[in-house]
Amino acid sequence: MLRFVGGRLVQIAITFFLFLTVVFFLFQAMPGDYTKQFIMNPRIPPAAREALKVRLGLTDSVWGQYVNYVRNVFTGNLGLSFEHYPREVWDVIKERLPRTAILFLVASVMAFVWGFPLGRYIAWKRGQTLDYTITVAGVLFYTIFTPLLALMLLFVFANQLGWFRTGGFLTPRLWLTPPSSPQSIFIWLAATLAGLGTWAVLARFATRRIGHPRPRRLAQRGLVVVGVGLAGLGWWASGLGPFAWDIVWHMFLPVLAVTLIAFGGDMLLMRDSMLEVIREDYITTAKAKGLPDKVVRDRHAARTALLPLVTSFTLSIGFVVSGGIVTETMFSWKGMGLTYLNALLIQDYPMAMGCLIFTGILVLVAHLVADLLYAVLDPRIVY
Amino acid sequence: MALLTVQDLTMHYRTKLGGVHAVDGVSFAMAEGEAIGLVGESGCGKTSVAMALLRLLPDNAQILGGEILFEGRDLVKLSEHEMRKVRWRSISMVFQAAMNSLNPVYRVGQQIIEAIQQHLSVSEREARSRVAEHYNLVGLDPKLMDRYPHEYSGGMKQRAVIAMALACSPKLIIADEPTTALDVIVQDRILRRINEVRAEFNMAMMYISHDIAVIAEVAERIGVMYAGWIVEMADTVSVFKHPAHPYTIALMSAFPSIKGDKRVLAQLPGEPPNLLAPPSGCRFHPRCPHATAECVDEAPRLEEIDKGHFVSCWHPQRRSQ
Ligand SMILES: Nc1ncnc2c1ncn2[C@@H]1O[C@H](COP(=O)(O)OP(=O)(O)OP(=O)(O)O)[C@@H](O)[C@H]1O
Ligand code: SF4
Ligand SMILES: [Mg+2]
Repeated sequence: MLRFVGGRLVQIAITFFLFLTVVFFLFQAMPGDYTKQFIMNPRIPPAAREALKVRLGLTDSVWGQYVNYVRNVFTGNLGLSFEHYPREVWDVIKERLPRTAILFLVASVMAFVWGFPLGRYIAWKRGQTLDYTITVAGVLFYTIFTPLLALMLLFVFANQLGWFRTGGFLTPRLWLTPPSSPQSIFIWLAATLAGLGTWAVLARFATRRIGHPRPRRLAQRGLVVVGVGLAGLGWWASGLGPFAWDIVWHMFLPVLAVTLIAFGGDMLLMRDSMLEVIREDYITTAKAKGLPDKVVRDRHAARTALLPLVTSFTLSIGFVVSGGIVTETMFSWKGMGLTYLNALLIQDYPMAMGCLIFTGILVLVAHLVADLLYAVLDPRIVY
Repeated sequence: MALLTVQDLTMHYRTKLGGVHAVDGVSFAMAEGEAIGLVGESGCGKTSVAMALLRLLPDNAQILGGEILFEGRDLVKLSEHEMRKVRWRSISMVFQAAMNSLNPVYRVGQQIIEAIQQHLSVSEREARSRVAEHYNLVGLDPKLMDRYPHEYSGGMKQRAVIAMALACSPKLIIADEPTTALDVIVQDRILRRINEVRAEFNMAMMYISHDIAVIAEVAERIGVMYAGWIVEMADTVSVFKHPAHPYTIALMSAFPSIKGDKRVLAQLPGEPPNLLAPPSGCRFHPRCPHATAECVDEAPRLEEIDKGHFVSCWHPQRRSQ
């Protein structure tokens, strides 16, 4: 196992280096450079543009830039963003990455929490009207054009009902004199969510030994409610509650959009996977053993059917940056996707490359995690 | 009293092309501790009969009539809840696809313990020692309990599945081609072992095979199936010495040359019957050398021609061999 992980890490390092190289030369191959932004600007004469080029290091030889670049990345220096000059790329990413991560993590977890049991349920009731209805709904969510879904949500919930804002990260008026920076409040919010998630998992584990399903579920839900209550109380006591709530309020629609799409995918995958497993002979054996229907479904069928779902879930985490471009643009959610798109459009190369590097790292790590998770869940796989 | 009496059992599969008449008016009885065999060519409905006994039928199957009296209760009429208590506790089964009968993500021992704890109120430790006992019975090292199915060889899986079928000491075990995936020597050894164990614990056993030679060694009585019917049923010696149904006779005449050859039943002249539209009258008539007009028009009924020797034929061949 350790040897496998070690080997994979070496492999990841090599892949990452190749990836860096490709990214670098891809950007080199693009026409023009950042100073083109100012071509039409009469207040910046050609001489000033040339001076800017020198300052940004755009006049060095390609090879020199490449060596410089690789050395910098491996020493953790992603350079300065042209657009946000003189902020460091890393600094911008540090601000934007959590926003994307929270958006997609919350949505993915919710999609999983609903999609897994529903897919399991309709697969078990296969062929009935309920199965068809829910499957069609799932296909609809899964295949819908993301901007269309976003527009529909915005139209209904923001425009018509007025329940939510049409986009952005916060309400400017409220934040005129914030007691604390939005970023730090957001980070605390993220920490709260992570804490609650951990709490819910712990609650499940702690109540596992309760024999009857009814009191067990009651205890689980009770613990979760207590956790949420405590968190709410904490925020209220800190006086930052309204500010945190403002961010949550803005998050609602983008989270809903991503959740619906991911939910459709999770549910359909689970249904398919279940239908395949249900045909296996060991399911017949489990039934023949006189096990109750639920035990056969959950302990025997769903446990094996879960495997592809876990892989897809883990790998999807790796693609949040590119996947986020559309959603984040639609909801003006300033996360990694929007930052990346913007950087590309105005040829802020260090910023765009920084985003790509992060995507690369996420994808590579997600693959490793997926492999490890698979090994934990499937005894047939031994490293 | 008979342990199991199957009376006129009829079961069809609904398909897009129509009903598949897989089990039609099947009747037989088994005494406690008795070992019977069910033979017939592939697709004649052997597995369907077995699955009907456990009521583990696919969604498109329908029991149209008849009864399955087991210890005096009609299994056809039991609620699903009641039926669950019968499964494995009273009737267990070694499935045709024994190699895939174990869930790959759980330890083999655990899967047997699960069955034991479902039906008997014993502690985890007692269940474990019970599994160990049964491992010894079927010739497996109890240490293998905590391994996963993929760490077992084919023969080991087979033995584990048999140990699992024995685990709750059921009254009846159905073994559907329990050894076909194994080579002949292992096959023979395992079959003998099962038979010793079941005789020791007085369990009734129903062996299913398409190879009459395999079954003859362990079954006291043999039922011959053809196209969803039981066409002949008698004690093993009679079936071999005085087969009366033309189909059985055809099987027997092919027998000496076929030891070990499994495809021989397909070599009967003529097409195997299409169960979507079975032949009128006697289902064997298109392939039968003794067929008459009567055979084409009307179906014969299972009748006792000698004591304990049942045949379903208008022209049973007496003492022909
Ligand atoms: N789920 C099903 N739907 C439709 N037809 C089926 C179904 N299962 C079995 N059959 C058909 O029913 C008939 C009897 O099948 P069964 O499996 O009982 O035969 P068998 O004697 O066990 O054959 P084998 O020796 O190949 O195992 C076959 O013609 C088969 O094609
Ligand atoms: S009933 Fe007629 S056709 Fe059928 S087996 Fe007997 S002799 Fe042959
Ligand atoms: Mg079969």
